[in-house]
Amino acid sequence: MTVRPADTQLVSVTDRLNVALGELGLIVVGKQAPLKLALACLLARGHLLIEDIPGVGKSTLAQALASTLGLQYARIQFTSDLLPADVLGVSIFDPVSHVFRFHAGPIFHAVVLADEINRAPPKTQSALLEAMEERQVSIDGQTRPLPAPFFVIATQNPAEQIGAYPLPESQLDRFLMAIELGYPDPDAERELLISGDRRIRIPTLAPCADAATLLAWQDETAAVHVAPALLDYVQALLAASRSSSGTGSLQGLHRGLSPRAGLLLVAAARAWALLEGRPMVLPEDIHAVFPAVAGHRLAGSTRAGAPLAQSLLRSVTLP
Amino acid sequence: MKPRAPAPPLSRLQLRWIAALLACAQAPLILHMPAWIVALGSGLVVARIVMPERLYAPTALRRWLLPIFAVATAIGIRTQFGYFLARDPCVEFLYILLGIKFIEARTGRDGMLLVCLALFLSLAQFFYTQSIFAALAALPLLLSLGGTLAALRSGADARPWREQLASTARLVVQGVPLALLLFVLFPRLAAPLWGMPFDAGASTVLSDSMSPGSISQLSLSDAVAFRVDFAGQPPPPSQRYWRGPVLARFDGSGWHTAYRLQNGTPSRSSEFVSTLPRPAVSDPLVGPINLIATLSYDQQLFARTPVTQTVRYTQRSILRDSFSARDDNPRENLRLPRTNPRTLAFAQDMRGRAASDSEYIRALLKWFRDEPFVYTLAPGQYDRDPVDAFLFDTRRGFCEHYAGAFVVLLRAAGIPARVVTGYQGGEMNPDGEYMIVRQSDAHAWAEAMIDGEWKRFDPTAAVAPSRIERGLGAALPASEPVPYLARLEMTWLKSLRLHWDSVNYQWQRGVVGFNLDRQRDFLRDVGLDGARPWQLVVLAAAASFLWGLAVLTVVRLRRSRVDAEIALWRSACRLLGRAGLVRRQDEGPLAYAARASGRWPQWAPSFQRVANAYAFLRYGPPGPARGKLLRELETGVDDLPSARALGRAAK
Repeated sequence: MTVRPADTQLVSVTDRLNVALGELGLIVVGKQAPLKLALACLLARGHLLIEDIPGVGKSTLAQALASTLGLQYARIQFTSDLLPADVLGVSIFDPVSHVFRFHAGPIFHAVVLADEINRAPPKTQSALLEAMEERQVSIDGQTRPLPAPFFVIATQNPAEQIGAYPLPESQLDRFLMAIELGYPDPDAERELLISGDRRIRIPTLAPCADAATLLAWQDETAAVHVAPALLDYVQALLAASRSSSGTGSLQGLHRGLSPRAGLLLVAAARAWALLEGRPMVLPEDIHAVFPAVAGHRLAGSTRAGAPLAQSLLRSVTLP
Repeated sequence: MKPRAPAPPLSRLQLRWIAALLACAQAPLILHMPAWIVALGSGLVVARIVMPERLYAPTALRRWLLPIFAVATAIGIRTQFGYFLARDPCVEFLYILLGIKFIEARTGRDGMLLVCLALFLSLAQFFYTQSIFAALAALPLLLSLGGTLAALRSGADARPWREQLASTARLVVQGVPLALLLFVLFPRLAAPLWGMPFDAGASTVLSDSMSPGSISQLSLSDAVAFRVDFAGQPPPPSQRYWRGPVLARFDGSGWHTAYRLQNGTPSRSSEFVSTLPRPAVSDPLVGPINLIATLSYDQQLFARTPVTQTVRYTQRSILRDSFSARDDNPRENLRLPRTNPRTLAFAQDMRGRAASDSEYIRALLKWFRDEPFVYTLAPGQYDRDPVDAFLFDTRRGFCEHYAGAFVVLLRAAGIPARVVTGYQGGEMNPDGEYMIVRQSDAHAWAEAMIDGEWKRFDPTAAVAPSRIERGLGAALPASEPVPYLARLEMTWLKSLRLHWDSVNYQWQRGVVGFNLDRQRDFLRDVGLDGARPWQLVVLAAAASFLWGLAVLTVVRLRRSRVDAEIALWRSACRLLGRAGLVRRQDEGPLAYAARASGRWPQWAPSFQRVANAYAFLRYGPPGPARGKLLRELETGVDDLPSARALGRAAK
C-alpha cells in the first residue's frame, strides 16, 4: 500500500530502488525483508550487522548489494590473528623512491564485508568500528578519508559458538541495524538447490546506480519529512525503553535506548519511507525498522532483541 | 461536501420508526379527541404500515383522493363544532393531517415534515393539561423526534442512534437558557390564547344545588380543591370556613342557589371561585382580584369569566362570623314548602318556649348536642319528608343534613336563614408552608339573620365538634370510608403524597401560573420594573446572542484542541471499532486500513482513501494541499459504510 507520491523525482528514486531490490532478490532468494532493511540501512548512512550462522547467504548479500549499486566491494575475513593493519592498511618503505608509501587496506572500499567480526580480538574489532564511526582512518599521523558512500556489513556468529569474542555493547551501538537472515523457506531453498549457487551470477548483474547516485539518494533520504507528532512518538518510545523495569513482556530489557539510537531510528525510518515512495515518515515506517534498530541495543543480541522491541512498540500509544 | 442525490425514499424501517413516533405524539391526545378523529388519525398511520404498498401507491390516490379527504375532514370538524378557528377543531385537524401526510410520505423530506408535524402535535397536548407529568413525559418524545430529524437530514450518513440522541440532547440542553429567558421575558397576555369554554378542569366541584348526599359524595375524594398561601399566620381550625355557593331556595328535599333567579344568567358550578374565606368583608374588592371577580350582595365571590384553569389571586379577609345584611331581602330567606310537617310543628313549639331568636337558636343547638344524633357518611336514604325523617327517626346524617334541617327549623320559626356550602378545614403542607384544602373538606353550614346581621351557625359543630377542630378523619369512626389523605395518621405514603403535592404546587405556581402579574413581580424583583416591552425584547435578543456566542466559542475551542483530521480519523476508528475491528493503540493508519481491508475486501478502497488522506494530513509536510486533503478525508469518512453494514458483511 502506498500513499500517492507527491512529486515525480521521488517516483524515480523509489522506482530505481525497487529495481535494485528486484535484482538483489534474484541473487538472495526469498529474503525480501532483510534485503530491504539492508538497503534502508545503506540509504540512512548506517552500518549493518548480520547475526547468523554461516552459510545462509550473508556474504552473498553484501557482494550482490555492492555490485547492484555499482560500488567497490571488499571482504575481510576476521580471524583470531588478524591485526588492525590488515584492515586499515600499512605504510611500506619504497626502496626505489626512499619514501614510505601507504598501501590502503580493504577498508578503503565502498562496501566492506567484515565476515565473522567476533572471531577477531577486540583490538582489531575496535579499529574497524572506529573507522566506521569516523569515516576516516588515521595512520602514521595522517588522516585519510574513507570513500563515500561507505557501508560496512559485519557478520557475527551466534555468541555460543566456539572461539568468538562477542562485541561489547558500546561497539554494538555503532551498527544502525542488526538483523538475522534465517534459513530460507522451503520454496526458496528448493530453487536454490535446482539452480545452484547464485553467487556466480553476481558479475553478470547490471549496476542500477553508482556512487554519486547513491550519495544523492542518501541526501534525498535525509530530506524526508518527519512530522512533530512522530518525533513525539519516537521520544515516547525512547522514554518507554528507559523507564521499563524489565518485567512482564519486557523481561530481558537491560538498558534504555541512547539518544544516538533515537537519531538512527529516525534516519532509518526516513530511508524506509523513501523505499515506500513517501515524502514523509509514517508510524508504519518506524514500526518496520524499530526491531532491527532497537533490538540489539535493548538485549545485546538480535535474537533476543527483536521480540523485546515488538513488545515495547505495543506498549506505547501512537499519538 | 458532495451534492446529495435527490431525496432517497424512506426505508421500511424508517417508516415504521416514524409511525411509532407519530403514535407516541398522538397518544396523549386520544382522551381529548372524539372517537372518529382518533379512529381516522391513528387508523391512517396503522394502515400505511399494515397495507401492502400497491394498495396506496397509485399517484391518483395521492394527488386527488388525499386532498379531497383532507378537505372533507375539515368540513366534518367544522360541522361538529360549528366553528373552526379554535383550539379543539384545529388540534383535531392536525391529528388527522398527521395520518394523511403519513399515507403519502415517500421521501426523507416527507419524513422530516412529518417529524415537525409530530412536534406540533405533541405541543398541542399542553392545551389540555399543563401538569408536570405531561411536561416530563414529553421529553423523551422530544429527544426522539429531534434525533430522527437529524438522522433523516443526514440521510445515508446517519450516525448510530445513540450518538444521534446524545447530540440532540446536547442541543436541547444548550437551548435551555434561551427557553428560560424567553419564558421569563416573553410578554404575557392577560388571558391565555386558548380559551376552554367547556372545560371541566376547574378546581371546585361544589355545585349550585345541594341535595342530601351530595357533599358526602364529595367527601370521598382526595382531590385538591385549592391551595392557599397565607401572608401571615394561618387562622385556627375553627375559623377555616371557606365560603362557596350560598343556597337560599328549598324545594322540600334539596337546596338551590337563588342567584339564578336574580340576574337570569345561567349559573354554572365553574363560575364560583369558591376559595373565599368567610366572611370576606373587604368591600369593595380591592387590588388585582377586582379584575377577575365580583362580590355579590350575599358575600359570594363570582369569577367575571368562566374559570377554565387554575386561577391564582390574592385577597384579604376579615375573620368575623357575622356581617351586615342591609342589601338582603328577608322574604327570600323565609320561604318554605309545605312539607316536613313534624319539623314545622316542632319548630313552632320550640320558638314559642324561647324568649328571643338568639335563645331559640341556642336551644336548637343544645337540642342537637343532647339528642343522640350520629355524624356519618352513610346516613341511609330519606325519601318523603326527608327533614322529618332525619330529625325524628334516624338521626343519622352528614353536614348537609344538619345544615339543611337547621335552616328549615329557623325558617319555620320566622328567622331568615340560608345554607352556605364551601369548605371547612385545610391542612398545612410541611414542605411548602401552604395550606391544602381537599374535596374531602367540603362542608355545609347555616347562616341566620339576627338583628340585621348575618351570623354563622354550624350545627355539625354541635353534633361532632371534632369535625370542625380536627377534620373529617377525627369526626368519623374508623369504620367509615374516609378518604385516605383525610385521615389523621401520618404514614409514609401520606407524607410522600404531601411532598409530591408541594412539587406540583410549585410547578403550578412558578411555571404554569407565571402570568402577567407574576411576570411583573419578577421584573420588579430583578429591578426591571420600568422596562418597556421593546427594551425587554432588546435585552432578550442581546442575552440570546451572547449565549449563542458562548456555546459557539466552546465548540470552536474544543474543535481546535483536537485537529479536524484527528477528529475525523477518530470517528472512522470508532466506526470500525463498533463493527468489531478495534484499532490497537500503536497501530498506524495504513496498517489499520490494511487490516480492515483484509476483513472487508469490498470496501478496501474506502478504507485506504481515508487512511491515506489522514496519514498525509497528520504526518505529511505542511503545504497548500491540506485544505483539499481535509475535504478528501471528510468525504472519505462520510462514504465509509455504516457500522451495521460492516457488521452484516462480517457475518
